Amino acid sequence: MFAGTIVFALINSFILILMAIGFNLTFGISGVANFAYGALYIMSAYMSWTMLNLLHLPFWASAVLSIGFTMISGALMYRFVLLRVRGQALSEVIATFGIGLAILELFRYLGLVGFEYTLPVFSNESFMIAGAYVDIQRIAIVLIGLLLVLGLWLFTHFTATGLAFRAIAQDERTALTFGIDSDWAATLSVSFGAGLAAIAATIIIPLGSIAPDEGYDVLIKALAICIIGGLGSTGGVIVAGFIVGFAERFTDTYIGSHWTMIVSLAAILLVLAIKPSGLFGRQKELEERI
Amino acid sequence: MKRKRLIIGVMLAVMCAWSVAAPNVRAAEPIVIGVATSLGFLEGKESIKAVQMAVDEINAAGGVKVGAGTRPFKVESIDLRDAAPGVPVPEALLGLEKIILEKKPTALMVGPFRSEALIAGMDIIAKYKVPLLGTIAMAPGSEKKIKEEPQKYKYVFRTCLNAVHLVKFLSGTMGAINKQFGFNKVYVMTQDVAWARATADLVKKLYFDKSGWTVLGMESYPTGTSDFSSALMKARAQGAQVIMPVFDMPQSGTLVKQWNTMKVPAIMAGFISPLAGSEAWKIFDGKIGGVLNTTFELGSAMAASKLPASTNFMQKYQKKYGQEIQAGHGPAPSYESVYILKEAIERTGSLDPDAIVAGLEKTDRQGVMGRIRYDAGHQAVYGFDPAETGVSLVSQWTDSGKRIVVFPDSLAENAIQLPTGLKSAK
Repeated sequence: MFAGTIVFALINSFILILMAIGFNLTFGISGVANFAYGALYIMSAYMSWTMLNLLHLPFWASAVLSIGFTMISGALMYRFVLLRVRGQALSEVIATFGIGLAILELFRYLGLVGFEYTLPVFSNESFMIAGAYVDIQRIAIVLIGLLLVLGLWLFTHFTATGLAFRAIAQDERTALTFGIDSDWAATLSVSFGAGLAAIAATIIIPLGSIAPDEGYDVLIKALAICIIGGLGSTGGVIVAGFIVGFAERFTDTYIGSHWTMIVSLAAILLVLAIKPSGLFGRQKELEERI
Repeated sequence: MKRKRLIIGVMLAVMCAWSVAAPNVRAAEPIVIGVATSLGFLEGKESIKAVQMAVDEINAAGGVKVGAGTRPFKVESIDLRDAAPGVPVPEALLGLEKIILEKKPTALMVGPFRSEALIAGMDIIAKYKVPLLGTIAMAPGSEKKIKEEPQKYKYVFRTCLNAVHLVKFLSGTMGAINKQFGFNKVYVMTQDVAWARATADLVKKLYFDKSGWTVLGMESYPTGTSDFSSALMKARAQGAQVIMPVFDMPQSGTLVKQWNTMKVPAIMAGFISPLAGSEAWKIFDGKIGGVLNTTFELGSAMAASKLPASTNFMQKYQKKYGQEIQAGHGPAPSYESVYILKEAIERTGSLDPDAIVAGLEKTDRQGVMGRIRYDAGHQAVYGFDPAETGVSLVSQWTDSGKRIVVFPDSLAENAIQLPTGLKSAK
């Protein structure tokens, strides 16, 4: 059972990493804490479901289109709302949270709640790994998670756009002197973050169902992982994903399932008390030293 | 002068006509039924449709006799949202008070999903003296309050199954499994809400502990959980022969899918709300074969050929709304509650809340779910014989995607079958 717990803890870690990586990318580049992140995650899932069940498109076409639409929604949200409050952290949070709230509550108002709202799994097969049967969907989550992390690293290190992202993230003013348009980079960062949320929804939702409440849950988990890892730090997100992912599954197995939800919140409190910038964060390091 | 007389004459004629017609105008005023529940959830959506169906039938047949006249029913509704995770009880109670104050209902129906909200809301119902015929919330705490202070809380009735009666059905199913296959090791998994925990605790206390079963573990999961791997691994490692789930959240179907993909060698028997309807086979990719699931009230999501009234109800619903009932809890008692209210009003000939309560207490109706009578705690009595009480049923999903009634014996179409690959301990 110990080996099985490790397998499922690993899967849980990748689920958390996938849930948080888009939020982290947006914050790391543009400094925007996108509190509509959970709503975009759920919106993309509903779009996939609609295209799949009402327009009868193939799953992959539905997934690609919904990821594309979610990226466009993210970009539009930045251009028409966030650009006007750029740099005012509190206004950004209020604006994005308001948008997220409106999206999620609209879905609830439309009655899109129920177990029939889900996305299909890639395959119904399962394999024995370390004494536990694991389904293909969960294996796919780990593989796609690895590919996304690797892809993001390659993108930010070997493409012009990725290098521009890093430049903005490191020092926006210096980046501007090199001709990098910070608004363009920020638009893309919100759009890419939304796209990553949509990818996560496409592969994680088949394990459960699409529900407005899931949007709030995803936002809380993404925030927890980013705060623990250090806002803006990709390495921090990965490490925090593993810490919380393993802590949740081991709590579930050896202490009790009803304590699981408390783990990530307790981890936030602990990290904020000991190292407010998170494990790998640099946002407040100077203040902390002073 | 003539003109003045004419005007006075017309006015007097109008006044006379009004005085003659007024009682009839008042007679046509509808009796408002307030449906206050979580309308966004399947059970809520289908329950209000069942209420509307009963109201349409009654109105088409001439309405409700109140004294010498007849009046139609009218449905007003409000979404309490209490079933959604994170919605605080006070918010749900605001909705309850709002519909009472704004729509002035003669009676409330369906009611809160969460027993926490119902129990807290009983004071509001007592304050405004509006009878409630609840058809969703199940914890027996409300009955205790009624028995303790009957004058104050007498307005609350429950037509649906409660946790205590569910315990009887779960215990009966476990007894049948034990008798047929010799299984006596169980792993219990519940949703972390009052009624589900209470149900599991009562099955343990009243059946497992007294019948020589070993309860290997009892896990409760927060609403919204969609990974049950840890408990399923524990169930497998400890040699569980039966897994008893008690869940009413949409994500709970995932538990059955995981049970299937993780190939846990135990029969799953209990209550998982998403598995109640015929659509579940398609939604859960056909991975639910072998699962035993409780339908809380006969006629909600599943009828029994041995009680034609339940089959007729489901057929009428499908004809009216173009789809089968999918919720295993709510629609049938909601439909029945409208008729129970009608009979109570006609019995007493009054819309006075105390008179309606007195009428409801005398209920003895043979309908969709069997025979309905209320006990001292205003709970509809459930048992195993539809001629004597209301009934629930337990059905088993076959590997070909059909549901077969296996319990109680009075309704059973077949014996329980072991899922593929599982061996009897006898």
